[in-house]
Amino acid sequence: MEPAPFDLAAQQLVELLELVSSFPNEDAAAQGAVERAAQVLEAEIAAVVLDGHVVHSVGFAAGAIPYDQLVDIAHRRRDILDVPRLGKCMTAVAELNGEARGHLVLARLGDDGFSAAEWNLLRGMARILDLSLQMLRTMDSLRQRQRLMEHLYGIQRSISRRMPLQEVLETVVYGVKELLGDEIVGLWLRDPDQPDTLLLVSNVGLDEEMSQQLWRVPVHQAGAAGLAISTDDLATVDGYAGAGAGVRTLTGGCLERTLAAPVRENAKVTGSLFTAACSPGSGYTEIDREILLAFAENVSLALTDAKTLSDMNEAFHDSLTGLASRALFLDRLTDGLVAAEREDHPMALLFLDLDRFKQVNDELGHAAGDALLMGVAQRIQAGLRVEDLAARFGGDEFAVMLAAVSEHQAVSIAQRIIAAVQRPYAIAGQEVSVGASIGVALCGPGEQGAEALMAQADSAMYFAKRNGRGRCEVFEPGMALAHPARPAQADLRRALDEIVHRS
Amino acid sequence: MGDGRASADGARWMAVGRSADPDARVAGEQAARLALTGPDAKLLIVFGSHTYDPVALAEGIAAAAPGVPVIGCSTRGEIAPDGPAESTVVVTAIGGTGFVVATADEDGLTGRQREAGAAVARCAQEVPDLPHKVLVLLTDGYTRSQENILRGAYSIVGAAVPLFGGAAAADAPEHCYQINGARVLRNGVVAAMIGSAAPIGIGISHGWRTLGEAMVVTRSDQARVYTLDREPALDKFLRQLDAPAEVYQDPAEFRRWMLTRPLGVQRRSGVAVKNISHDPDFEGRSIGGGTEIVQGALVWATEGDSASVLDAVEVACQDAIDGLGEAEPIGLLTLSCMGCKAVLGTEGVGEETERIAKRADGIPFAGFHTLGEIARTRGVEGFHNQTLVVLALS
Repeated sequence: MEPAPFDLAAQQLVELLELVSSFPNEDAAAQGAVERAAQVLEAEIAAVVLDGHVVHSVGFAAGAIPYDQLVDIAHRRRDILDVPRLGKCMTAVAELNGEARGHLVLARLGDDGFSAAEWNLLRGMARILDLSLQMLRTMDSLRQRQRLMEHLYGIQRSISRRMPLQEVLETVVYGVKELLGDEIVGLWLRDPDQPDTLLLVSNVGLDEEMSQQLWRVPVHQAGAAGLAISTDDLATVDGYAGAGAGVRTLTGGCLERTLAAPVRENAKVTGSLFTAACSPGSGYTEIDREILLAFAENVSLALTDAKTLSDMNEAFHDSLTGLASRALFLDRLTDGLVAAEREDHPMALLFLDLDRFKQVNDELGHAAGDALLMGVAQRIQAGLRVEDLAARFGGDEFAVMLAAVSEHQAVSIAQRIIAAVQRPYAIAGQEVSVGASIGVALCGPGEQGAEALMAQADSAMYFAKRNGRGRCEVFEPGMALAHPARPAQADLRRALDEIVHRS
Repeated sequence: MGDGRASADGARWMAVGRSADPDARVAGEQAARLALTGPDAKLLIVFGSHTYDPVALAEGIAAAAPGVPVIGCSTRGEIAPDGPAESTVVVTAIGGTGFVVATADEDGLTGRQREAGAAVARCAQEVPDLPHKVLVLLTDGYTRSQENILRGAYSIVGAAVPLFGGAAAADAPEHCYQINGARVLRNGVVAAMIGSAAPIGIGISHGWRTLGEAMVVTRSDQARVYTLDREPALDKFLRQLDAPAEVYQDPAEFRRWMLTRPLGVQRRSGVAVKNISHDPDFEGRSIGGGTEIVQGALVWATEGDSASVLDAVEVACQDAIDGLGEAEPIGLLTLSCMGCKAVLGTEGVGEETERIAKRADGIPFAGFHTLGEIARTRGVEGFHNQTLVVLALS
């Protein structure tokens, strides 16, 4: 459930590039690409539709290709493919922009559609297919192909290892410069706060001092880059057409021509990758365009990946306290139990419930309650080691996973947490106090799973509450028997809280 | 042995028979007779020890079941309810009006795997349009690029028909055989398309966990990996595993160490494992296995033990049975891996059968330890290593 430590998309694009460029002819390459697209996106069906004809496909029984449906899907006249005996498949489509204009169509069984990242990957694959077919047509030199491969490997490695985004973008910019040979290469991205303005986030060939002064330009004054963004297409510009004074100053007035490609984040155009020549020449070839588009797709992948990572981080953390969410905690706990067994060391789970929280919340309001929860979370976190993990399960329930601890150490940490949580808090101008009751469950090698351990810690916590609050109890087998089933416990504890409060 | 199970409506049945007679003809006939417990037999699936003469084996089976279609292959360890054993033959019979079967074969696999896969899959077209189908494939385990056999079959049957089966095993390539009726093939593939009115379930599971950081295959060709992260693959992989010094140079030590540490290849839905224990190149410092590993792939070192493999066995059996939905299972085909067998050891292989029996809960089952497992249910991929694949019929 944790974000993967690598990005598969970049890897798969290079894998595809390697595969299709190894074929001897365009026909075999296209068929190979269709199979690989289905393989990496785990789709049952893939097809290439050109000029209203299905020219390659995989996943249909011989003689049973639903041509009309596929053509309709390629042209977005329908989005569900109904395959006899298989069932309804969700579809995704990417355009092929090479000489023969067409579409790469994928279909996957079931109700789950393709995610934004998968659409992005599919577009990247279509681009790679275009590029590869173009390479087979025009790039005779094996050495030329190898250089392109080298660069794409470099980018893929940096994305897949989750290197900082800035480093990935620099790898792209340097790759474009080496392959296309222009004097200036750069990447503009929209300012998130002012989408009409572009920020120069990476470049090679520009005067360093100048690029630090002139790193913001309006989209409509960005020349080819602005045009690529506004048309969502490749743009070629001679000289400074469409460019404002900023771009002219930035580039020292030397531009002869610029080629720019749009880059996207989650399918939305968010910037432009450009290459610009300062010397007269014959202009950009079809292969130059394909290479720039391929690199731009890599930028899109890196941006989407970075966004996905930050979204996932949000999804797996409690928005109020920043502690792990229940889902993340359970996932880590399961892993922790496997590691505990493998490495033969015990681990402990603490279940913590605040005493008198409801009283504070009722008397001072939800905002004060939230501030209190944030304060409690900080104090719990402060008492833990790097390898431990704290989570908020909602309401005033917290859990802590302690790796490689004895019972004595676990109880000692629990008591430290109780003492820390009990210290008064300054909230809304008042001094506020709460207590904490903690249940401790210990797991030795091969003993129990995450759910069982959670139930034990919960039972022990119930006993801690019952035995006078502000204390911790270690789970013993009798506790589970004496204690009602889990769904009712939260309510019971609340009732207990109320009763104690009233008395 | 010879107990069978029939569906509640009596339209389908499955039974398993075994013989350990050293005479191939006698063994074939005995095992087939034990398996023929119901009327209207439609198909016999034979897992016969590589030590048998396959021609005599096929004759014995034909004597017991004249006219009944037969597919089979050589094994080096057979699985059946009375336990795992070697030098035996296990025959599975399916029959009843609820099954329709067609069989096919192709020899001369090498160099034309895709073409052969497509050719045998064409038997699908002889089976009427029943609601549930599976194409069972038994291939020569010593032939490379098994994936291409599946790709060929997939190009004919499409996504609506799952693929299931395994790669035949033996002690040496020349003892590996496949059987289709009276025909005995070497370097071949045999297939049976089974059509059924009742659901068919497939389970796939392996017991390997990833270790450390992912690596990129920076140079490979077919089944050989030359570099990982631009370093010699053998050294990089062993370093990732923190392997002891002797494993770096000694083929026997390498094989022993790697059997429990296959290469994990990252896929969208998880990690698929590839056995790379048997083909290291100590001079060129590369690693290799029987199946294609594409340049650019993201791979992992993995490890497992008999406990994790045995857990996977149960998962695969249960997934196959769960795949039947409400329908009651009448039998299982349980194909495990030679690599797993080496990990499990004699005791573990016994427990493997016990675990299968536990999930089978009284219904017949039969299988063998393969040189590669076939199970395609989703997507286009279906060739596995060191994995248990299970087919449940209802």
